[in-house]
Amino acid sequence: MKSIIATTLAMGLGAVALATASFAQGSSPLVNGEWLEKNLNDPKVRVVEVSVEPGVYERGHIPGAQNVVWHTDLVDTVTRDIASKEKFQELTRKLGVDQDTTVVLYGDNNNWFAAWGAWVFDVYGVKNVKLLDGGRKKWEADKRPLDTRNASVQPGKLTVSEPNQKLRARLADIRAASDSKNATIVDIRSADEYSGKIFAPPGSQELTVRAGHVPGALNVPWGRAVSEDGTFKSADELKKLYAAAGIDGSKPIIVYCRIGERSSHTWFLLSKILGYDVKNDDGSWTEYGNSVGVPVVNVAGTVWSGK
Amino acid sequence: MTDGTSVETLTGSSHRDEQAPGIDPALAAFADRKVSVAVALAIVLAIGVSAYVLHGQSSPALAISLLFGAAFGIVLQRARFCFFCMFREWFDDRAPQGVLGLIVALAVGLVGTTLVFGAWLPDAGTGRLPPDAFIGPVSFALVAAGMVFGAGMAISGSCVSAHLYRLGEGSATAPFALIGTIIGFILGFISWNTVYLAAVADASVVWLPRTLGYAGHLLVAGLVLGLIAYAVTRSAPQKPAEHARARDQATAIFVDRWPAWIGGAIIGVLATMSYLRVAPLGVTAEIGSRARQLAGALELAPTRLQGLDGLRGCIAVVRDALLSPNGAFVLGLVAASLASALVAGQFKPQRPRIDHVLRGLTGGVLLGWGAMTGLGCTVGTLFSGITAGALSGWVFGASLFTGTAVTLWSGRRLGLLPRG
Repeated sequence: MKSIIATTLAMGLGAVALATASFAQGSSPLVNGEWLEKNLNDPKVRVVEVSVEPGVYERGHIPGAQNVVWHTDLVDTVTRDIASKEKFQELTRKLGVDQDTTVVLYGDNNNWFAAWGAWVFDVYGVKNVKLLDGGRKKWEADKRPLDTRNASVQPGKLTVSEPNQKLRARLADIRAASDSKNATIVDIRSADEYSGKIFAPPGSQELTVRAGHVPGALNVPWGRAVSEDGTFKSADELKKLYAAAGIDGSKPIIVYCRIGERSSHTWFLLSKILGYDVKNDDGSWTEYGNSVGVPVVNVAGTVWSGK
Repeated sequence: MTDGTSVETLTGSSHRDEQAPGIDPALAAFADRKVSVAVALAIVLAIGVSAYVLHGQSSPALAISLLFGAAFGIVLQRARFCFFCMFREWFDDRAPQGVLGLIVALAVGLVGTTLVFGAWLPDAGTGRLPPDAFIGPVSFALVAAGMVFGAGMAISGSCVSAHLYRLGEGSATAPFALIGTIIGFILGFISWNTVYLAAVADASVVWLPRTLGYAGHLLVAGLVLGLIAYAVTRSAPQKPAEHARARDQATAIFVDRWPAWIGGAIIGVLATMSYLRVAPLGVTAEIGSRARQLAGALELAPTRLQGLDGLRGCIAVVRDALLSPNGAFVLGLVAASLASALVAGQFKPQRPRIDHVLRGLTGGVLLGWGAMTGLGCTVGTLFSGITAGALSGWVFGASLFTGTAVTLWSGRRLGLLPRG
């Protein structure tokens, strides 16, 4: 009798384990804390933190996670661009990413920069890149363990692809989409930035000479897609939310914000969770609003920071 | 003491010889101030409860900062750990104990911080700097900031951290010195962009472990500290001051002044733990950001401080939170030093006289300008800087004590500053 119960239990547990494993191994672009905690010792899983606050990773990160600094590791510090192929190739080697590795990215501030990291990984054709749903906020709220030790991993052997330009919108693309209306443009900034009342969120130093938004852009602030605990809302809720704003995936989508990193969060959910065709405009408003000869819509009437 | 409280001596405060009959000897030291002790216990309990509540409200950084601040305040108060007084004891009387206490703090902090860095940045030569450490540009502006801060210490009788713990002792000077500090910070904001473009922008940020390696840095820093220790000991009077032996352990801990080296050793450990968990020790971040809010409201300071308001993506450093970790740290420091002073019988509020007000405000303004321009004070730029391996810490320290010495000497010659 005992053995039957034990066998049944074991089978049940096995099924649960398989189900949680397939959660990450399957098509879902997200992993939850429960799955990640169970799979921390899996050599095929690499956990990478992309946080904006300095010292956050060092003072306690998910056990085994490695640190990536977004504004030096993931960008080209000379040209305004994402990291070069060679630089990114070097980074994936250092992180120990192989062809069959599942990369789980997470970070502070609702995964803003982790989502930006996911976008850069995708541009270079790295498969199996997931976000930890809810990022640091949810992991800490669930009282899961943190560690201060540095992970040491075997260098990875993955060869990254040429950058996939289909995932990037440049100034010419967003201008063409604005004129032809053959793509949906989504401005994910706050309503006050969208209207032109303010040029940038308080304290932001990278500014534009004009405020407002791209003609034809729809405003869905990124935060609407997030629940109180920092996780993404369900796919059904997201679908409804964006459909109500006129974004249903029937046309290609371009997302932008101020510097291209909050918009990565929306890029991630629209392309990875809802499966739409989405480009991220990493030049975003700091490029558009400073360009000569492009029209803006500014309902607030601010011009050169005056009225 | 320059703020009118009893003169600090190395033998600690005196206590009454007679003992009330029927009292437990362990409690005899507090027999005459039961109410003070009860209030002190209530304060400590309130700090503990606040930390517990904050932690429960998902603010662990605030909770732990409050506790670190409280521990720091108690040690400062018990050891009279004041950069200025320690220097002055040597400067005036060639008594080396205070300076040696500071050296112990630096030595322990150096070892502890290096241990932390070894885990965070296994290779110091990669070109990266440890996160949020006090490693600043070394420039003429830093020297000027140190000299001015040192002058402010000599005039007001303390550095900023010591004014904070003396606030808990009821000092008449401390409140004015802190008001002066805020004014000085605002003056620092007003002059910052000019100073930055003239001196700071092109200055080098030198992190010693990058060139010397961790071990080499520890050796060099240890050697320098050893030489300073040798120099101050060599010039000490032949007969060291006798430490009065406390009659019991409770008096030794709660009433008498702790030996400076014990205070220093504890501060070195505290600094290491604080850096590991929250941030390096510092007491002016909150004062600075409040001063900036005030300057903004009064439209006195430029809205952008070059080189300080850097790129942080979409995360702005806007102080709209009621309390930052550094604010919690400072509150914990003041509250716990009050509790500590109450227990020791050293809470002696005074009615401020005109000289308290003048010297507090004048010295405070200099402290504030020096701390803003030097990007920190004796605790941040000097102590946390040196322990983190920043050349800026050493330069600021040398400038600061030079400024103090020059101001003390000239101020006394001119009859403006009393001796002792």
